[in-house]
Amino acid sequence: MAAAQKPRPPAPLRILTAVPICDGHDSAVSTINMELARHGFEVIYLGYHCPVDVIVRAALQEDVHVVGISSYNGGHIVFFKEVIDQLRARGARDIPIFGGGGGTITKADERVMQRQGTDRIFHAGTPLADIMAQIRRDYARPLKPNSKLRGDRALARAITLAESATVGAALRRDLSDLRSGQSPSRRKTAPTANARSFVVGVAGPGGAGKSTLIDELTSRFLRQNPTGRIAILANDPSHPDTGGAILGDRVSMIYAQDDRVFFRSLATRGSLTGLSAAAPAAIEILKKSGEFDLILVESVGIGQESDPFRLFGPKGPLVDAMLFVLAPYYGGRLQLQKIGLLNGADFVALNKCDHPMAHTARAEIAARLDVNGKGQRLFGTVAAQHHDPGVDTLYAALADRGGLTVTPGGEKPCQLVVAP
Amino acid sequence: MSSLGRIADAVDAYNAHVSAEVTRARTDAKFAADLRARWAKIRASIETTHSPTGTPLPRLALPPTDEPGAIAEYLFGQGLPGEFPYANAAYREMYLDRETTTGEEPMRLFAGLGLAEDTNARFKHLSTHQKSLRLSTAFDGPTLYGLDSDHEGVLGKVGEGGVAIDTVEDMTRLFAGFDLTRKDASVSMTMNAPAPVILAMFIASAKRRFGPGCVPNLRGTIQADMLKEVQAQNEVIFPIDASLRFLCDMIEWCVPNMPRWYPVSISGYHIAEAGATPVQQAAFTLSNGFTYVELLRARGADVNAIGPRLSFFLDCGLDVEYLVLGRVCRRLWAIGMRDAFGANTKAQVLKLHTQTSGRSLVTAEFQNNLTRTAVELMLSYLNYTNSCHSNSADEPFTTPTEKYATLASHGQSIIMEESGVFKHMMNVFGGAPGLLILEKEVEQAILAVFREMDTLGGVLAAQEQRYQRSKIQEAGHAYEQQIYSGKRPIIGLNKYVTDEPMPSVPLARTSPKKQRLQVERLRAFKKKHAKSAPAALQKLENIARGKGNVFAELINTVEVCSLGQITACLTDVVGKFRPMV
Ligand code: B12
Ligand SMILES: Nc1nc2c(ncn2[C@@H]2O[C@H](COP(=O)(O)OP(=O)(O)O)[C@@H](O)[C@H]2O)c(=O)[nH]1
Ligand SMILES: [Mg+2]
Repeated sequence: MAAAQKPRPPAPLRILTAVPICDGHDSAVSTINMELARHGFEVIYLGYHCPVDVIVRAALQEDVHVVGISSYNGGHIVFFKEVIDQLRARGARDIPIFGGGGGTITKADERVMQRQGTDRIFHAGTPLADIMAQIRRDYARPLKPNSKLRGDRALARAITLAESATVGAALRRDLSDLRSGQSPSRRKTAPTANARSFVVGVAGPGGAGKSTLIDELTSRFLRQNPTGRIAILANDPSHPDTGGAILGDRVSMIYAQDDRVFFRSLATRGSLTGLSAAAPAAIEILKKSGEFDLILVESVGIGQESDPFRLFGPKGPLVDAMLFVLAPYYGGRLQLQKIGLLNGADFVALNKCDHPMAHTARAEIAARLDVNGKGQRLFGTVAAQHHDPGVDTLYAALADRGGLTVTPGGEKPCQLVVAP
Repeated sequence: MSSLGRIADAVDAYNAHVSAEVTRARTDAKFAADLRARWAKIRASIETTHSPTGTPLPRLALPPTDEPGAIAEYLFGQGLPGEFPYANAAYREMYLDRETTTGEEPMRLFAGLGLAEDTNARFKHLSTHQKSLRLSTAFDGPTLYGLDSDHEGVLGKVGEGGVAIDTVEDMTRLFAGFDLTRKDASVSMTMNAPAPVILAMFIASAKRRFGPGCVPNLRGTIQADMLKEVQAQNEVIFPIDASLRFLCDMIEWCVPNMPRWYPVSISGYHIAEAGATPVQQAAFTLSNGFTYVELLRARGADVNAIGPRLSFFLDCGLDVEYLVLGRVCRRLWAIGMRDAFGANTKAQVLKLHTQTSGRSLVTAEFQNNLTRTAVELMLSYLNYTNSCHSNSADEPFTTPTEKYATLASHGQSIIMEESGVFKHMMNVFGGAPGLLILEKEVEQAILAVFREMDTLGGVLAAQEQRYQRSKIQEAGHAYEQQIYSGKRPIIGLNKYVTDEPMPSVPLARTSPKKQRLQVERLRAFKKKHAKSAPAALQKLENIARGKGNVFAELINTVEVCSLGQITACLTDVVGKFRPMV
């Protein structure tokens, strides 16, 4: 166990960044994000035009060290205060907030904002290096077990601990806390022995549409399960040299911004399997909580050869089913043969069926799955399309396999005519 | 090959053609004689004028040469002002004193703050000294995102950074007192995702004020360029294909019904301000423009009908490439439109609005911003922009206050009217050696970007792969790094820094009282139309679900529905945009 004796590097600082609602000025925050990643920080970026509740929910679920807001379109005093108030209302008084907005946030504004709870404003002209140094100095602290945390924050902290060096002891204790009724569950009763989450791994090349598809599946889950909860674990790569990461899956979710969704971004932190090394523990934590009917795990968009979900799983497979997503432009029949993941998948989604090559691709993949002879099912989807019937079918099949509620109908058919 | 590859090839072919003509001029005596004769005729047609100190000057400056090769190079490579390939200018005469005393001045100042009546007052102030009426409207964040002022969580942004417009009644207040049907009146609106709704309100309001027959007389521009929104400005509400459908519906309606209206302003400004280099700005803007032509053609439009209705909007900063950016863009657009799309003369001309760079203006020693803007204005005029906005020195702090907006406007007047640079001779600098070198370099760099995007499958495919966004972000990051490493001097910020304390700059902010007033007005409107709104929205929804022209219906819908109600209705039909970051 030589590796265990090496002093572990401290877990990276996790920072949430966003631009307020009705504001699209993202150039500053993009630069800040890139600098943060370059300096080894993990950034969960929520994008522009971002409402307060989305920021607050993410801060809790992502268990960030600090929230940074970049505001240019005015109204910053009101907006920052609203974020602070909602964080406090949801038991997260301890998450600090800072921000910037060039010259639009004046020194006088800063004083008002500080009285209301903002830590500090980085004014125009602050060198990037100073910003990075100050963030490291003031916010890089280990996040510790905290039995006072409740709800999603407790789950989030358990995952943080699983992610950090303390996986072993702390995790075991946390899990036992969860089991012994100190559960962050919103359900009144403690999870029963047969409470069970259906866990689906989602793999496939980068850009195939995994995140988009997960969001669309989530919207169907939310509509068809009026009370259930869903969890999403999104794995994204860390930069191999700096250790930093910009975790960008959360921002592309338009339906998953809901309290019934627990979304957690995981940086791979050196793991080369396509999943964070903490993913198995995180899945376990989510399952044990008894909160979630469905857990979707998105792997990094690499590794078409080996199945990230079979590599792990101390007690058998990590997931109950694996959904493999690919786009029609995989490079022809020969390339298709090389995609090892097609053998392990329970469900295959050929996404981007709006692409001209989709027809051929569908036939080729169907033939390939036929040869496999494992009863794997193929679905054609257009995840980027509103109310895509292909996604409906895929969701129905997943729900069926996982024993989820399916409330049929309720959706207006859509015959959108698009340009051209 | 996407059309970008074809366009790049067409430009190469045109350049080869120019070289061949130059050789022919030097080898073919008959051709040489023809050229000389044509040149002499042009020369003879140029009037002479005098400077105030008595220096005689030709109204059009041409290179002092009689060598046939040089003449060919000039006539075909650059073109006389107003002639293909339009490097020198879109029109034969611009900015000359008779133009600025009788014609329309290029100045068009972007303004918007508070509620409609506040912006109306600013418009009145800005237009006092203008001969023609050139208004340009900035909207606030909620309006830009299609939300009503009473939408949850937006109250603090109401009237900030632009004017709050929720209803057709606000639109009427906005332009109260201005005769929008005047021949020399023109109204520009910086509005994108909700552009069809806002233009519908503009039309509906004008009909109420000037009668139903006024629509063909309305003149102006609405930005509405959704591609650059996806790439840079981030005001997208609906999925991209739906956004493009709504835009094309609007353009198609405007082409026959509003002959004096530019229904889209293809914009590089936001691309550059988000961080792009001048070359990237030009490449992405032009390629977006060509994409609209393709989209509209695919829907059955005639390139000669739509070509003249497209307008462009570029940024002008302090980097050396800005000496020629407008010139190069006009040339590439003309060649692409003519040779790749078969467009006729009128449809080849790129009409250009320029704004000086906001990003070049900083808080440190902010009065220096006056100088920066003045230099950028010079560069803009050197490129013969058709209209121009100059930023105020208080740009980094606030929506311009009256004092600095006035100074910004006077900056343009000083260059145009006080100085003699542009007054007496057209085309003072065209053909200068430095410009020629830059034009070639910049053009080649733009074509290289075209070819790169071509290999990705064209503009829309590149966009889906975040190509433009990631290029812009990388360039923006590099720009900031250059500032803070000292590589890019910014006087007063990282060079020649004095320790003068920051003066306190007056701010234009909207009071909570006004913000609440806007909400009350909106609620009153909704109450008044509570009975008729549902049916109007249902009608709109039916059309949006089918194939009809959504824009034509919006002109009715806005009579009884607010912007937010309409956005919600359309979102129900087409869904939401999934953010690209
Ligand atoms: C670039 C820019 C744009 C670009 C934005 C492109 C993009 N994708 O970001 C474009 C052209 C699209 C644009 C559009 C608009 N803009 Co603008 N824009 C600017 C501009 C010129 C620069 C802002 C900028 O990015 N600077 C670069 C950054 C890196 O530097 P910085 O601001 O000095 O920030 C430093 C620190 O504050 C810190 N920082 C900043 N944020 C954060 C966050 C964190 C977490 C940290 C740690 C640090 C940090 O980092 C920097 C380094 O020290 C400013 C004016 C100015 N000169 O500042 C106007 C400005 C912000 N815009 C303004 C307005 C009004 C608009 C519009 C609403 C106009 C309209 N009505 O249509 C639109 C809205 C667009 C939208 N979707 O919301 C106003 C805001 C007025 C106000 N609040 O009173 C300004 C001030 C201009 C003005 N005077 O009118 N804009
Ligand atoms: N044309 C098309 N584009 C899609 C579709 N699904 C996703 N996309 C786009 O493909 C890109 C990558 O999608 P994303 O979900 O981030 O892929 P991931 O890397 O596999 O998670 C995005 O620009 C999506 O908008 C689809 O069905 N059709
Ligand atoms: Mg993804």
